[in-house]
Amino acid sequence: MFFVTYLRRELRRRMRQAIFITLGLALGVSLVVTVAAASAGANRAESGVLSALYGVGTNVTVTGPPVMVGRFGQVKMGGLTGIQVNANGVEFCHNGKCEKASPGQSFESVGPPYSAFSSAHVTAVARLHDVSAAAGGLLLSVNVQSIPTTSSSGPSGFFFSVDGVDTGHLALSPLSAGTIISGHSFTAADAGADVTVVDSGYAASHNLKVGSAITIGSAPGVTSVRFTVIGIVRQPTAASTPDDVYIPLARAQALQTAPGPAETGEVDMIYATAASAADIPAVRHEIAALLPHDTVTTQASLAGEVTGSVKSAASLASDLGRWLAVLVLIAAFAVACLLTVAAVTRRAREFGMLKALGWQTPRIVAQVLGESLAMGVAGAAVGVGLGFAGAAIIGTIAPTLHATVPGLIAPTLSGASSKAAMPGSGLNGELDPATASHMVAVPLHPPVTAGVIVLAVLLAVAGGLLAGGFGSWRIARLRPATALALVA
Amino acid sequence: MYQLTGVTKLYQKGRRTVPAVTGLDLIIEDGEWLAVQGRTGHGKSTLLNLLGGLDRPTEGTVELDGTGLGTLRETQLTRLRAEKIGFIFQTFNLIPTLSAAENVEAALIPLGAGHAERRARVDVALDAVALADRAAHLPTELSGGQQQRVAIARALVKEPTVVLADEPTGNLDEDTRDDIIALLEKLWRERGLTLVLVTHDTAIARRAQRTGVMANGHLTIRQDSANR
Repeated sequence: MFFVTYLRRELRRRMRQAIFITLGLALGVSLVVTVAAASAGANRAESGVLSALYGVGTNVTVTGPPVMVGRFGQVKMGGLTGIQVNANGVEFCHNGKCEKASPGQSFESVGPPYSAFSSAHVTAVARLHDVSAAAGGLLLSVNVQSIPTTSSSGPSGFFFSVDGVDTGHLALSPLSAGTIISGHSFTAADAGADVTVVDSGYAASHNLKVGSAITIGSAPGVTSVRFTVIGIVRQPTAASTPDDVYIPLARAQALQTAPGPAETGEVDMIYATAASAADIPAVRHEIAALLPHDTVTTQASLAGEVTGSVKSAASLASDLGRWLAVLVLIAAFAVACLLTVAAVTRRAREFGMLKALGWQTPRIVAQVLGESLAMGVAGAAVGVGLGFAGAAIIGTIAPTLHATVPGLIAPTLSGASSKAAMPGSGLNGELDPATASHMVAVPLHPPVTAGVIVLAVLLAVAGGLLAGGFGSWRIARLRPATALALVA
Repeated sequence: MYQLTGVTKLYQKGRRTVPAVTGLDLIIEDGEWLAVQGRTGHGKSTLLNLLGGLDRPTEGTVELDGTGLGTLRETQLTRLRAEKIGFIFQTFNLIPTLSAAENVEAALIPLGAGHAERRARVDVALDAVALADRAAHLPTELSGGQQQRVAIARALVKEPTVVLADEPTGNLDEDTRDDIIALLEKLWRERGLTLVLVTHDTAIARRAQRTGVMANGHLTIRQDSANR
């Protein structure tokens, strides 16, 4: 009790100095917390982008070249698909077959954006030494073209994406990154069923719910398929352009109508899981050796190609932010040490008297350390609070970040305009596989984790103890006779 | 009993060596009151520091009850001061953030006494100096005389065998000075303390059993005193 009383009274006596030291430590701590939160938030946003693209269970992804270029570099042109106006009037032609089109009628052509792999490729990847699981996926782009109802307007169209997922390996697909908010996801038994899980955004814009039906693949000579919605999925906000519709892989393989080299039963994406995180580079090399003409990406390699403001934010937080926090902490520590030593010097006569009373040096040192520790703890508390506030402010005022991932062709979804049109679609579209990129909007949510709080508290306490240590060194060297001779 | 033999204390002031005490031989019996006079800078406070173990002699020995203070480690010296030696200073040296009672209590902390025992002994000590009603007051709320009474209570609460007082009335007015000296004398008589008191005041010095005069580091003992 005497210890606490003495400590409390002394801090009250030099309240201004104590507040100054506390606030200095708090500023350093708050910067550490805020910067750590911002850095974690930016990194988490970046990871979210990547996992949203490929699913949380996937370590390595294999994609072929764009279907227009083909696996061996040739540019391929498929059969014309699209609306034609000729002597017969308005017709929709697909794979050489034409059908007269009526006003208001819609046709859909379905095709993959990437060249296909055979099922043998998937099996070969799955058998690699460091691969624990592999599955195929078939990403299809559905080009919907409609005949106008009035003569004054031209044909209109939009894309939506269909992702064929292996229902026996759901973790190895982009579906796994989302949360089922209505209904349920696929089971293994759904492998051959005409069921679908739709994205929440797509469901909202098309007024779909569990039990609704969507039809895909209406084209001349092609029978459309009706899929029943069994679930609605909400993908992470990092995946602001998620796939619209997910169907079982086998049904996606049967759906394809657009011309191209892919055949029924094939896939255009291979997702693989490494046996351990340490094996990922090895798996990447093994797959690259197995499939030398295809693109093998890992989260790490993709992270290196991600550009955009999310990358800048992560870099800013981890580089500039970290150094700024370190500098402020050093300054706070230095100020705390200087002020503590100055206070001890001013109290030299008092400490000399305590020694004359029979107080051992460690007892006096404990008193000074206690005062410094109290300021350190107070600094930690205030600093953590300020850090939380800083993180909240960043989360509130920070602009939505964007991540651009090169090398992926993404027909834009849900009615947005697209520059990555399907070949032979008849719509004005451009496809430049060399520069095609996928941009996602990424909100920044800086998290303040327990680990960061503990680190911040330890730093503030360390600062207090460091200051107390300097003061203690001064006390240990104090000779009572000299101290008592000092002018008060 | 104190026995000082050939005690010399030298201080370094840059290149100069300053002798504060030179070849001092002295015996102070148990329960004796020795007053030390002398002009400023002639070694009075240095002598007190040597007697209290606050400083070590450059040459010679200082023995208290047969124990050479110069042979003790710092922790042992500190322990000795905690148990046996009380100090009273001209400037009181009270801790400004602690109340009168807490200042007195500070002297009992090194002895490891429990809270209840400390409070009881503090009450007795403050009562002995007639300051029981000022126990909760801070030093800034006390007069000079009251502060010195608190310092006396602090010196005596541990029931020491030796009290070393360095100009205890130096900062007090005449009336208060007389009160403080009377109090010290009373307590000296009641408790059989060994009291070494440094003073400029001849009238105060004459109240002691023996008076010594420090001049240029040498101590000369005079035998005339009121308490002989």
